[in-house]
Amino acid sequence: MEPPGLLAVKQQGYRAGDRGLKGANAMGKWLKCNQGAGVILTSLFTALLIYIELKPWAHRKLRDGFSLGFFPAVAVVLSIIFSLILIFDGRRKEVPSALETLTFKSGLSAVLAVVVSWAYFALMREIGFLIVTPFFLLLAMAALGAQSWRNTLLIASFMTVIVYGIFRVMGIELPLGILSGVLPF
Amino acid sequence: MFQPEAIIEAFHMVLSWNVLYWLVVGVVIGVGVGAMPGLTAATGVALMLPLTFTMSTASALGLLIGLYKGAVYGGSISAISFATPGTPEAAATIYDGHKLMRMGQGRKAALMALYASITGDTLSDLITIGLAPALALVALKFGPSERFWLVVLACTLLGTLSGAHPAKGMLSAALGIFIGTVGTDPVGMVSRMTFGLWWLQEGINLIPMMIGVFAIGRMLEGVIELLRERGVARKVKESISTALMKSGPGLTFKEYLRTWKEMLIGLFVGSFAGMLPGLGATVGAFLSYSVAKQVFPKKQIGSGVLEGVAAAESGNNATVGPTLIPLLAFGIPGSSTAALIGGALMLQGATPSPRMFELFPAVVYSLFIILLAGNFVNLGVGRVFAGFYARLGQLPRQILIPLIFMMAIIGSYSFEGNPYDVVVMLAFGLVGYGMRILRIPDAPLVITFLITPMMEANLRRALLINRGDWVQALFHSPLSIGLFISSIILTSLAIRFEVSKRLSIVAPKVEQENS
Repeated sequence: MEPPGLLAVKQQGYRAGDRGLKGANAMGKWLKCNQGAGVILTSLFTALLIYIELKPWAHRKLRDGFSLGFFPAVAVVLSIIFSLILIFDGRRKEVPSALETLTFKSGLSAVLAVVVSWAYFALMREIGFLIVTPFFLLLAMAALGAQSWRNTLLIASFMTVIVYGIFRVMGIELPLGILSGVLPF
Repeated sequence: MFQPEAIIEAFHMVLSWNVLYWLVVGVVIGVGVGAMPGLTAATGVALMLPLTFTMSTASALGLLIGLYKGAVYGGSISAISFATPGTPEAAATIYDGHKLMRMGQGRKAALMALYASITGDTLSDLITIGLAPALALVALKFGPSERFWLVVLACTLLGTLSGAHPAKGMLSAALGIFIGTVGTDPVGMVSRMTFGLWWLQEGINLIPMMIGVFAIGRMLEGVIELLRERGVARKVKESISTALMKSGPGLTFKEYLRTWKEMLIGLFVGSFAGMLPGLGATVGAFLSYSVAKQVFPKKQIGSGVLEGVAAAESGNNATVGPTLIPLLAFGIPGSSTAALIGGALMLQGATPSPRMFELFPAVVYSLFIILLAGNFVNLGVGRVFAGFYARLGQLPRQILIPLIFMMAIIGSYSFEGNPYDVVVMLAFGLVGYGMRILRIPDAPLVITFLITPMMEANLRRALLINRGDWVQALFHSPLSIGLFISSIILTSLAIRFEVSKRLSIVAPKVEQENS
């Protein structure tokens, strides 16, 4: 049996840990509410305003007397004002339903999806639409949970050909890449 | 304003096999887009925009307007078949439509949705054809000051009426204004806000931006949902027999006529909602439904009656034509889809403005003809293929989302063959996704982005004319003072009475009443 003193210290530690966990949860929840979003947006727009004001071109006078940075600055100031409203208005504690279930992993997945899309585009330009697209579609469909590999591959290949055909008929060239000297069309 | 030669030219433009072909293609694709939950009219139009580069103006309008009309109607197919709206504006159709389906009257409900959509759409198109030229005549008398305040009024209406939180709507509008200043200033044509990137010197390209916000932003949300569902035990989805859409009693003419009052409510409420920037088809549908329910309590709308379907579908489709009124009359799009159609017209060299009726009368009249002709095509496609689209609506999102990504990437790239357009598209996809999860409406961003150059140019012109006197420039005429006061009053009223919040809770309220 542990000495009462050690037990007490451990309990305090758990409580502190709980508080730490609760603190982290509370912070996470606050960041997701309108007020948290307002603070982040205000900071971003303020940084943008400072960026504009520090740029020499922003103070360049045009022939009609306006400075070049006037309208961008006005737009950013308006954005700051509306972000500040989010921080202070009566609905500041509301959490949008989509954010309630959002995790860091979800946000990362969104960025990853964009990165993968860019990679697809870069490869498509080099290797060719007809070769890269079926792989991209197949992998993306499988990653999202499509069940049958065979059906997915069929759909991916079929849609690649259909889309290529439609764009060709419209007179829009898609990159053929390494097939450009090979295919007659 | 009435130009017989232009009308005849417009008929020649439209009544060609090419234009009619693209109108049919547009409607066929549009109904499919509408029937598939997760896709909206704006998404479909954004994805098809790149295809219009090589088309004639009339063909491009045929494709896009056909798609728009088809999508707004198509949402009712999924709403009735499996209680999932294909598009947000079809959500109000579920209450009565799906109940009718469960009572074995799916075919009747589907036909009612189709005929009410066509009726509301056609009559509102006539309103558009009558009103747009008249308003354009008035707008021609506007000077730079009046045009500036008109754009300010549009921005404030968009901001305060879009979404459920006025500050978020206004934030979206302000962000759109900022993005509209990237590139070059519209008067001096001097480069600004390029962040040192040479490829931003011509500004943000409209097409990739719209594809990013309206297509990729939504698809990213779908990706996150699907990835989350992968870890969860699969729900057994109730498979509604789509055969019910084909069997069962049809709709008699008497039953259709019986709902004339509800369709009329849908027509007027929908037309009003379509004309006002920031409201849109979803508000049109739910408001029409709510009004019909309040005005005719004995008809028990919500318990599975045709009148409920008629009000909702007439209400949402009646927004289609009128949403183009501010675009044609003032050059200010009334909705995201109107902004996309405006973008398509700009690509064709016919920039929407009050002078459009003078400079491009044949284009305007061909747009009117296509608005009307599109309803007949919609009628035919809906009548014959509703059952097929009900099945299409069950296409798994795991298949659909990657296809949309692919279309978005090649569409953005094929616009000018510029790889930075894909960068812009993907970046705005992330922005659009961020806005969606924060519940910041995206329509104000895109619309104000489009009209910012107009606003800035008119303000600077007004100041130039008045030699730098701000008071003279902004308040020299009763009309400009009136527009200024209207912006203040309407914005204050919208905020004071929490109009956007009330409009956004019309749907849950209706749901509560019907449960």
